[in-house]
Amino acid sequence: MPAPSAVTSRSAGPFEAALAEMATPLLLLDAGGTVTFANDRAVVLFAGSMPVGRTLAALFAARGAAEPQALDEALRAGRPAREGLALDGGRRVEAALAPLSSGGFALTFDDVTEHVRSAALARLEPLTGLCNRAELHERLGAELAAAERVGAPLAVLLLDLDRFKAVNDTLGHPVGDALLRKVAERLRNAARREDVIARLGGDEFALVQVGRAGADQSRAAEALAARLVDLVGRTYVLDGQMLNVGASVGIALYPADGRGADDLLKHADLALYRAKADGRATYRFFEPAMNAAVQARRSLEIDLRRALALKQFTLAFQPQISLETGAVSGFEALLRWHHPERGPISPATFIPLAEEIGIIVGIGEWALRTACREAASWAQPVSIAVNLSPIQFRGGKLVETVMLVLAQTGLDPARLELEITEGALLDDTDGVLTVLNGLRGLGVRISMDDFGTGYSSLSYLQKFPFDKIKIDQSFVRGMAGSAECGAIVRAIARLGASLGMRITAEGVETADQLDAIRAEGCTEVQGYLTGRPMPADQAAALLI
Amino acid sequence: MTDDLRRLVYYSRNRTAGAPEAVDATIRAILATSRINNARVGVTGALMFNAGCFAQVLEGPSDAVEATFERIQQDERHGDVALLAYEAVESRLFTDWSMAYVGASKAEADRYGDVADTSGFDIARMTGDRLCAVLHGLALEEEAAIAA
Repeated sequence: MPAPSAVTSRSAGPFEAALAEMATPLLLLDAGGTVTFANDRAVVLFAGSMPVGRTLAALFAARGAAEPQALDEALRAGRPAREGLALDGGRRVEAALAPLSSGGFALTFDDVTEHVRSAALARLEPLTGLCNRAELHERLGAELAAAERVGAPLAVLLLDLDRFKAVNDTLGHPVGDALLRKVAERLRNAARREDVIARLGGDEFALVQVGRAGADQSRAAEALAARLVDLVGRTYVLDGQMLNVGASVGIALYPADGRGADDLLKHADLALYRAKADGRATYRFFEPAMNAAVQARRSLEIDLRRALALKQFTLAFQPQISLETGAVSGFEALLRWHHPERGPISPATFIPLAEEIGIIVGIGEWALRTACREAASWAQPVSIAVNLSPIQFRGGKLVETVMLVLAQTGLDPARLELEITEGALLDDTDGVLTVLNGLRGLGVRISMDDFGTGYSSLSYLQKFPFDKIKIDQSFVRGMAGSAECGAIVRAIARLGASLGMRITAEGVETADQLDAIRAEGCTEVQGYLTGRPMPADQAAALLI
Repeated sequence: MTDDLRRLVYYSRNRTAGAPEAVDATIRAILATSRINNARVGVTGALMFNAGCFAQVLEGPSDAVEATFERIQQDERHGDVALLAYEAVESRLFTDWSMAYVGASKAEADRYGDVADTSGFDIARMTGDRLCAVLHGLALEEEAAIAA
């Protein structure tokens, strides 16, 4: 036993010296809980108050800590214990009490201040200081448990920035990061203190809006969502620049839309997807139908992704008839997808999906190669029209692909007509015009498809000398009943003639319509009356 | 800091259209806080207002102007903030805080005449700069729109 009065006893042997000078704070207590020895580190830990001779409770009170209850109980029972204690100045220690065989106790301390601080940091997203994804899950779980106990509602809001990628791409990541910090600040400002705000990565944020029992959570969430769309969507100035991004928000409500954190986050995400699809800068509530729609889409997407490899696509060929000679002047190749279980799937369904998930480029190349190979085998050198998706113009490989296909199939470039819609010219008009001129340079002809249904058609006609204009079938079908449709067909035909472009009328189904479009000056016709889309062998047979 | 001098020009439609006394109090409070907060961080400028809108020019170091504008953007009472310009400038048009009622209504002009007098608002400086002149014009249009 060390001398009761000694704080440190350097005159004693090596064991006493080791105890006195070891790196861990150590107190020895008698059976009653009074300190009989404190080593150097313990004296430092309880700076200012001499530990020896005092009780534990008095010692901790002097450092601003609450009474160490677990330790007191263990002292009375004579058993070991551990207890975490908060001291003044933000220090946190973990105390371990061990009964000694010689009587009394040893009490050691681990300083866990740094551990606790870094654990707190690990919950925060470093850029914005908001909660990270793991912390959001934990807090949402805790809030859900609390909400269930008291029967309170709760809302989960997911927020995604519109056009953020453009900011990062054009102004660089430092500006993007500064913008994210300002967005986080606006979110904090818009939410209440008790709400949980997290950054889930990239430009995606989440808010948990805690409700009170009996509150109209749907209305509260709607008000918050509207505020977020407004505030986050306001112009930013940072780094000397003006920036505009929008915010889309998806909302899921507890308990109506789910009881668990995963379900609520998933459903808020579906609602967010809908908000973005509905034009962005808006908010949407989750609806059960979104689940079914997404599942159906996902399942179709899985099938579509493997349709090319499984050779489920075919081409149908629809004849185009010259009004001057009455003979077949060419065929348009039309993509068909026949799924073994689903049956035939409408191009209006699968082509937009293929464009959205980016696989239209591969499918389009297959269609081009297949159509050219087929046409090269025909008995007469009539034209073959192939549709191009706007997506195929991106990536800068279209001219190369067409050149390669022509070389591989041996088709005379003058027989190939590539059809584009105005949609292709909408974004990056100059870039698309460059590609069109490149294609024209190969000797290929270019047609404007679905003319009249788009946006500012006349300006496009001025920007590029199309070889052919195809009048949308809606005008042809409307001619019988509407003088306006007749006038539009006539105007387009005249316009085409004066610009030196050929005019094809699409969707001709009756002899009356054929007479009418002939009278209006169209040069070619395509429709059920003059020939339905047919398999390749039948198309080839028409030319023998 | 003169090499980092920027001018920001915005206007916003008045969302807190209320009783004249309330508007009055709001306007005077804004002028008071503008003078204290903005002067401390080196931001000066001009605030024009009428029944239809607030229009403000902020001048100062970019950090301070950006922070000030961010505060305005986070204030829900400012609806439809239209940012007209944010640009580097050689020198300030406004070396202090000035504030003026800008409008055609005689009654309103009398009511706020003292604000302009004490703040030293000089419409000539406002219309001297092209952008500020545009701002002035917009303010008048907003007032007319409210009156219509």
